[in-house]
Amino acid sequence: MFFALKIFILENMKRDESIIGNIDWGLFIVFLVMIFMGVANVYSAAFNPKHPELFDFSQKYGKQIMWVGISLFLGLMVFLIEASIYRKFAIPIYLFCLVLLVIVLFMPSVNGAHAWLGIGSLGIQPAEFAKIGTAIALASYINSINVKQQNVNTVVVANIILLIPMALILLQPDAGTFVVFTGFLFVMYREGITYDPIVLHLVNLIPGVRFKSTWVGSHFIPILFVVVFLSIITLLMSDNTIHFFLFPGVDIPGFYGVIGALMSMGIITYFLLRFFASKRERNRITMIVVIGFVLCSLIASIVNFGFQGLKKHQKDRIELFLGLIKDPNGLDYNRNRAMAAVGSGGFFGKGYGNASVASVESNHVPESETDFIFCPLAEEWGFFGSFVLICLFMFMLFRIVQIAERQKSRFNRVYAYCVAMILFYHFAVNIGMDIGFAPVIGIPLPFFSYGGSSMMSFSVMMFVLLKLDSQRGDVLG
Amino acid sequence: MNTDARRYVIIVFFLLVGSIYTIRLFYMQVIDDSWTLRAQEIAEKRQQITPPRGVFFDRRGKKIVANKTYFNLMMREANMSEKFDTNAFAKLIGWSPMKVKSRFWEIKLGEGRYKNPHTGKTTSNYQKIRSYPFVKEMSMEEMANIAPYLHNFPGFYEEITSMRSYPYANAANILGYLSEVNGEEITKDHFYRAGDNIGRAGLERFYENELRGIKGIHYVVTSALNNEIEPYANGEYDTVAKQGPALHLGVDIVLQAYGEKLMKNKRGCIVAIEPSTGEVLALVSAPTFDPNLFVGKRSISKNYSKLITDPAKPLYPRPLSAEYPPGSTFKLIQALTALQEGVIRPETGFPCTKSMVGCHNHPHARNVAEAVQYSCNPYFYYTVKKIIQQGKRKKVTEDAPIGLAKWTKYMKSFGFGVRLETDITGIRSGLIPDPAYYDKWYGHNAWAFSTIRSNSIGQGEVKATPLQLANLAAILANRGWYITPHFVKSIGSKGPKDIYKQKHYTLINRKHFDPVIEGMRRVVNEKGGTGSQARIKDIIVCGKTGTVQNPQGEDHSVFIAFAPMYKPKIAIAIFIENAGFGGTWAAPIANLMMEKYLKKKITDKEKEKHILESDLD
Repeated sequence: MFFALKIFILENMKRDESIIGNIDWGLFIVFLVMIFMGVANVYSAAFNPKHPELFDFSQKYGKQIMWVGISLFLGLMVFLIEASIYRKFAIPIYLFCLVLLVIVLFMPSVNGAHAWLGIGSLGIQPAEFAKIGTAIALASYINSINVKQQNVNTVVVANIILLIPMALILLQPDAGTFVVFTGFLFVMYREGITYDPIVLHLVNLIPGVRFKSTWVGSHFIPILFVVVFLSIITLLMSDNTIHFFLFPGVDIPGFYGVIGALMSMGIITYFLLRFFASKRERNRITMIVVIGFVLCSLIASIVNFGFQGLKKHQKDRIELFLGLIKDPNGLDYNRNRAMAAVGSGGFFGKGYGNASVASVESNHVPESETDFIFCPLAEEWGFFGSFVLICLFMFMLFRIVQIAERQKSRFNRVYAYCVAMILFYHFAVNIGMDIGFAPVIGIPLPFFSYGGSSMMSFSVMMFVLLKLDSQRGDVLG
Repeated sequence: MNTDARRYVIIVFFLLVGSIYTIRLFYMQVIDDSWTLRAQEIAEKRQQITPPRGVFFDRRGKKIVANKTYFNLMMREANMSEKFDTNAFAKLIGWSPMKVKSRFWEIKLGEGRYKNPHTGKTTSNYQKIRSYPFVKEMSMEEMANIAPYLHNFPGFYEEITSMRSYPYANAANILGYLSEVNGEEITKDHFYRAGDNIGRAGLERFYENELRGIKGIHYVVTSALNNEIEPYANGEYDTVAKQGPALHLGVDIVLQAYGEKLMKNKRGCIVAIEPSTGEVLALVSAPTFDPNLFVGKRSISKNYSKLITDPAKPLYPRPLSAEYPPGSTFKLIQALTALQEGVIRPETGFPCTKSMVGCHNHPHARNVAEAVQYSCNPYFYYTVKKIIQQGKRKKVTEDAPIGLAKWTKYMKSFGFGVRLETDITGIRSGLIPDPAYYDKWYGHNAWAFSTIRSNSIGQGEVKATPLQLANLAAILANRGWYITPHFVKSIGSKGPKDIYKQKHYTLINRKHFDPVIEGMRRVVNEKGGTGSQARIKDIIVCGKTGTVQNPQGEDHSVFIAFAPMYKPKIAIAIFIENAGFGGTWAAPIANLMMEKYLKKKITDKEKEKHILESDLD
């Protein structure tokens, strides 16, 4: 069998010697830098003075290096496999992932969730790999249909592809990964699979109305997310007062701060777009910006005054969800410790290995080497390190979008967008919960959090993307 | 439908989140320092290191209060194993399993109790991750029996504490004792934390601020389980605990012990002062108690109630707090005042008429010295009458207040009726009546000398503490001045407090002391003197007896003295309750005390035996 594999590999290499040259080195190097930083960070976050050796495989940093090694090996394997295989075997891969997701439900629960397949630290989390499987399945499905003629059926099928793994994951339960799957909705949005057919169907039920398309239906997903995001920010600021450290004494209520921020964002966007847009588009852009600002302010006002009008216990419930309730030793323990760790970092941090809140010995921040891995990084490297991390992720995301848009194959493009959205969701939720912008749901920070499943799945996901991209020329579409 | 432009929606999403997160992080990490404070609150702890208390030395450098190492058996529930064997543990520490269980509940409900100063609500803030003393103050021997087996009971460990020990079982009323601070004291002074000790009486209380020393602070990084991880910033901000300075007392512990021995089975006091310095050499309050009974919470709770309910009041510092009429000893300052006022001269004599006031049988006093020698009541009746009724007004009732006001001033210059600033707690001021005092009783201009005449022989309204009487003896020894009696001759090496370097002069001229002191010499050394029992071979003792009438029972026996007559080394006041005539009991005890101090040995063994064997209680 190994012999066969060898032949297969050699055959592949002969056939396409330009693979190395076609790799997107920018993305690959950012990936390697992140992995390197991640290992260094796990070494600090899980440091055990009794086993100071970095390559001590009884320790989490040793194991993480092992996982990195395995991941790179898997990446090499991925590279040597013909890219078209993913498209060809999309449905078997997807089904295999679903089977794993079903099997895992019958495994003993660890920390209250049936998430682990296998024994102890060598187990894997099928949910991590289901993301790849679903991405491939979605890419394959969208590639196979003529979306220009979208109808209710295509929307339903695409949603079913997402809903099956999502339902199975929710049964584990794993709220974090469940939320990540909603990122695929953006990919569908990009590809024009929106809820417009359904909305049209409903709207056209009204006698005398005959729409060909609705704006709300087409842009339902981003609108929904803008509304959710804006509402959360408004709620967070609702009972707050903003202090300007440059102008002490100038305190404004949080709600007006939100409106002010919206207004300034609108003005900046208007001028930026005016600068780049053609004369013809100016009026349209002005319209969009003005309407956008009015609508956003309206939403913020409704949320704000609606919230203020709520009864005490209702407010409490919402505030608890948002982490606004000052219960630092009770329900809000994790977030409070995490935010203290991040916030105490200062500009340049406390120095590598010097975290006092998020260190493994102190254990104030639970899971500081997995879900709260950003805490030791932010505490030890301060704003500087945090900013570098954000920049790296931003670079990676933009690069992937760039890669996606240069694909001739729709399959490749959908898959690339899926990767971008998955990474973005992990990044946004993971860091958001450390800075009080997202509820505490445990999902790993890609390439940083300790753990074999996430390291392997993110790496394989990345290598598949690199491989698809490297062969973008010889794909027929 | 071309959806290519939608890529920008996604890019804007990425940018929006990235920039909002960046701004948020900048605000949290760089601008707003509340999270930094929160982190310190979470991860850093100040550990207070309590230094050992300052120790005490007597005037000859003997350590009379020391610190001894004890152990607290600490409990930390978070570390305890699930299969904690109550019976085995109870057996190990020698308790009943029931008591072990009830102690657990006591700690859970009681030790962590915390009264919120704002709401006034009492809540228990017991925490499993905190350590609480399970058994307090175990001796080294007790701990040695337990320590080898403690590893069988995780969550229990020993903690060293320091407590007082008293190599000499004496001077309890001087030294005072320590006990745990209460909530009020913690709120009032942030130095203290629950479980700290504070001086409760005597010198321990008076010199609390010196003795307690300076606490050290050790900053540590702690874990979520409250375990210490490492010193914060390598101990850069730590401060070292500093032991309080040693107190060097003027007390001679050998004399003190001897005094306590003499006073066994008697009630009363001995106060001995070095006249030239005002240092208290001995201050005996009988009955007394062993200071070792008040070491540690366990023995205090065992012994305190017993001692406080004892009808003989061993905890009551009689020499400082008990106010007795001074009796005949008071005549000495009447003579001095009269001489100073010029109402008598040293040669003035008065016949012992016994018409106005009773007296015992003795020859008529022909001068001041003889009057003191015989302690002639009528003599001092006439003398004080001359002080009070100087004839400045025609009506005696108008004249007496003027004289009494003057008299009051004289008395107060001797430290009577004023609170002596002695460095100990429990000082009372006695009473010297002034015109206002009698106005309140009898009405304005409704009294005269005849109303208040008992004061002239130290009865009536005047009251003095034995310490004030000893101070009087010191004033006589010094011929006119005193330094406030005090115990501590040096705090560390700093010397005494400044107020104990200052001489207080009485309103009496130096020359008027000679006839009075001559009288005191005669009291002890001449035939017909009332205090011959105080005579010491080769040393001239000057003294004065007193017999204080006591309406409740037998008279109190009083004697004050100093010796030698020239360059006096010791001034003493003895007060024996319900012992009758001053010469019989108080004088011999003064004699033994002075001889013990001056000669370091007792020549008259018979006298010593007689005193030791007498039971006047």
